Amino acid sequence: MKILVGCKLVPEDQDIVVQNDGTLDTSKAAPKISQFDLNAIQTAVDIKKENANATITALSVGGKKLENVKVRKDMLSRGLDELVVVTNEKYENILPHQTSKILSEVAKEQGFDLIICGDGSGDLYAQQTGIKLGALLDVPTVNGISEIVSIDENKIIAKRALENEVEVLEVPLPAVICVSADINEPSIPGMKAILAAGKKPVNVKEVVVEDSALVDLVEIRAPKKKERAHIIIEGDSEDQIAEFVNNLRKII
Amino acid sequence: MSEDKFDAIIVGGGLAGCITAYMLANAGLETLLIEKGNFSGSKNMTGGRLYAHSIEKIFPDFANEAPIERSIVHEKISFMNDDSCVTMDYSTKEASNNEDKSYTVLRAKFDEWLAQKAEEAGVGIIPGIRVDDLIVRDNKVCGVIAGGEEMEADVVILADGVNSILGEKIGMVSKVTPHHCAVGAKEVIKLSKQQINDRFACTDKEGTAWLFAGMPSDGYMGGGFIYTNEESISLGVVFGLHNIEKASKSIPQMLEDFKNHPTIKPLVEGGEILEYSAHVVPEGGLHMLPEMVRDGVVIVGDAAGLCLNVGYTVRGMDLAIASGEAAANAIIEANKKSDFSKNTLNKYVQNLEDSFVMKDLKLYKELPQFLDNERMFNDYPDMVSGIMKDMFTINGPSIPMRKMIMPHLKKVGFMNLLKDGFKGVKSI
Amino acid sequence: MSKLSNVWVFSDTYSRLAEVISGGLELGQNVKAIVLTEDESKEAFAYGANEVFLIENSDSNNIVENYSKSIAKVIMNEGKSLILMPGTKRCKSLASLLSIELEAGLVTEVSEINIENNNINCRHMVYGGLANGLETITSEASIAVIASGTFENIQKDESKTGEAQKVDFVENKNSIKCIEKTSKEGSSVDLNKAKSIVAIGRGISKQEDISLAEELCKVMDAELGCSRPIAEGEKWMEHERYIGISSVMAKPEIYVAIGISGQIQHMVGAKDSQTIIAINKDKNAPIFDYADYGIVGDLYTVLPAVTKALKG
Repeated sequence: MKILVGCKLVPEDQDIVVQNDGTLDTSKAAPKISQFDLNAIQTAVDIKKENANATITALSVGGKKLENVKVRKDMLSRGLDELVVVTNEKYENILPHQTSKILSEVAKEQGFDLIICGDGSGDLYAQQTGIKLGALLDVPTVNGISEIVSIDENKIIAKRALENEVEVLEVPLPAVICVSADINEPSIPGMKAILAAGKKPVNVKEVVVEDSALVDLVEIRAPKKKERAHIIIEGDSEDQIAEFVNNLRKII
Repeated sequence: MSEDKFDAIIVGGGLAGCITAYMLANAGLETLLIEKGNFSGSKNMTGGRLYAHSIEKIFPDFANEAPIERSIVHEKISFMNDDSCVTMDYSTKEASNNEDKSYTVLRAKFDEWLAQKAEEAGVGIIPGIRVDDLIVRDNKVCGVIAGGEEMEADVVILADGVNSILGEKIGMVSKVTPHHCAVGAKEVIKLSKQQINDRFACTDKEGTAWLFAGMPSDGYMGGGFIYTNEESISLGVVFGLHNIEKASKSIPQMLEDFKNHPTIKPLVEGGEILEYSAHVVPEGGLHMLPEMVRDGVVIVGDAAGLCLNVGYTVRGMDLAIASGEAAANAIIEANKKSDFSKNTLNKYVQNLEDSFVMKDLKLYKELPQFLDNERMFNDYPDMVSGIMKDMFTINGPSIPMRKMIMPHLKKVGFMNLLKDGFKGVKSI
Repeated sequence: MSKLSNVWVFSDTYSRLAEVISGGLELGQNVKAIVLTEDESKEAFAYGANEVFLIENSDSNNIVENYSKSIAKVIMNEGKSLILMPGTKRCKSLASLLSIELEAGLVTEVSEINIENNNINCRHMVYGGLANGLETITSEASIAVIASGTFENIQKDESKTGEAQKVDFVENKNSIKCIEKTSKEGSSVDLNKAKSIVAIGRGISKQEDISLAEELCKVMDAELGCSRPIAEGEKWMEHERYIGISSVMAKPEIYVAIGISGQIQHMVGAKDSQTIIAINKDKNAPIFDYADYGIVGDLYTVLPAVTKALKG
């Protein structure tokens, strides 16, 4: 069984700095694997545990940051057999309609039984790329998968948790599924996995797609923070708690 | 590279660990380095100054390539009390000999560079993993255990820092107690290159090292320091933890008060705090060195207590590097003989004894006791400051200088002065 | 703001049809609804849809996404324009499928939307709530998946009726079968309607200690909420009580954060509260940046004392 997993690098959001004018400075935010893609990789790894002949190949599209050896090793240390990357400066901040096109070209060339993606990515969380990929590849596609019940070479039975109900779905293969963050707890790579990562293959592909003018990202800006009184009492002695309660009485 | 066994595994990717790993890999050994932080340097800290001699030996002209901050050409030592400061100032041209130089460094950058050199030499580096235990068979250390996985090696080098859990587990290192360590706390404050040049009288690539005794450590053993980096200064205090019960304020408060001292305040004006860090430093010196070698294992760097305490500053980096070199040389020989017994690995200790590491530790072994004397950090700063004040205050008819100085000396006590004078000379 | 001539609306959930029709009425002169049942057809007319298209299919094993080709066909026949859908899991997936069928630009989690020169400007949250992205859709067909609360509530008018145009189901070779459906236990909790909320975070160390916060809720007549680790991690409280970017985005008058550090993914769901009060033992916790009133202390000391003081 050939499994492909979509994998995106996103900036570490704790290190993103909001500038005075509201624009974001991501220069100090080191690239990391999007948390939801770790769920997707773990899903593939769990399937492989039950299906020894399965192979897992991660696909990633990005700009210069994707050329970083450490980050590639990090991806490979998670249980992948191979990593395929498409790197191009122009692809640094592409949007879902382009990403899905590039991924579909690579997926067609690689061939697959199952493609697993996260529901969305940790940066823009548009929640589009996985489904668009399935539509472009013209295979059954669904999101929100919260549990894999069973899988064989013809189909996958999976649960999907919606707002008010849980559906059990039968998805014929080949297919694309997007998994939710609740599906599993990604495991942390151990020493041997990290060491082995250095020996796994990385394939670099060139794919060119024209930017179809469907959506323009005009800007990203942090909203103005509401002015707050910031009356903070430092300490929890009886007097201080009494002072705090006095403050509260004014508003409660 | 066999996935089952390595020639050497190093636990800890700081200075001692990276140097040992680098040298072993260069000598052709299959070497693995495991660092618990996400990258080398992420868990390391220094006040700021690296004496280049030991690393120059291993990486000649390293300063051209490594991320050093400034080369120190301007030394200042001060006695400081709450509202005044007496300073001795020495400036010079940069030394012509590379080994005589010293540089300010920022560990996150520096260690990362050093780890990269090690990787380029062939060391396998595993970041982000903490080693939980050692594999011991028949009293011989044969490998490490991390996250339930085992990795074997002919020899394990413990470079896991001042609180060597592994060293303790195996019974070679005794638990760190407040009596034998100091705490260093510092802020890295951003200033422009020009501001640093102006305020500390240096030129672009050159810098100042400034040490303070007295008020910065609340009158107890320790001191304050300022080191100039390229575009920031490292400002902090060191405090001998054995006095913590007597201290009148917390260490963060000492740092705050030091920063706000009238001498220091204008120097940090307008600076933005980039980083706040603190670290424990082993201070036991010669008296507290652990067992350094056993079958299949050696201990290097801070984990081996190899820090030279000279009271208001503690030198650890250059000793760590030299200990890494000493260990690597011993292990290379052991590897040739395929003999990793304590006897053979003991060459490491011999190498240390032959180097400045042990020689300096022995030389200065009485200095900490001498310095740990309340007069050092209270009476003497007051005395010197008092003398200066009288000398430089003109108000009405002047009195002879000796008559000005005497009362201040008397305050400290002539016997004390003599005692301290003798002891001081002996300890250095 | 200008209006489009036509706006398409679709909802996979009965209760959210009103919302998208409201949006349609705001943004377009003519609202065309696509529905899957007769009931929805009546509902659509009652809320003000001008035209309704009913896709006929009796296969109960269909999931909503199987209708993508049918929906696309209606829109292609009748004229491409803006399509509004509510932000449910299924509609997000359907939206992406339609975006490929119709070559339509798509933005999800839209919290603000307007029309300018026939282009659709949309605002949505990025980086876990840290910032807003502003995107403009320029394609002929466009799709906006709307976050709840974006459009005003509208009233039903049962007198408005109409006849839905019946449309055939288009076979979809990529259909997925739903072989079982179980209802989740609905929760009656709606923190969006609460005037005051008391929320607990990781500072609460044992499940039994939640009662300390419940006591304060009684005194303040507040609803109990929590941060993600309490609901999704420890599972001590239901999903509907957790406040944050992937759950409740509340705007109460008073918000009390107890033992909550104040990370952006949580605060984005609480930062529009009128007054924010924080209790946390770490004076550097980000929550204090958002607080009007706060106290740095142990919640196990402060909370019972505060509850007692407010009671008496």
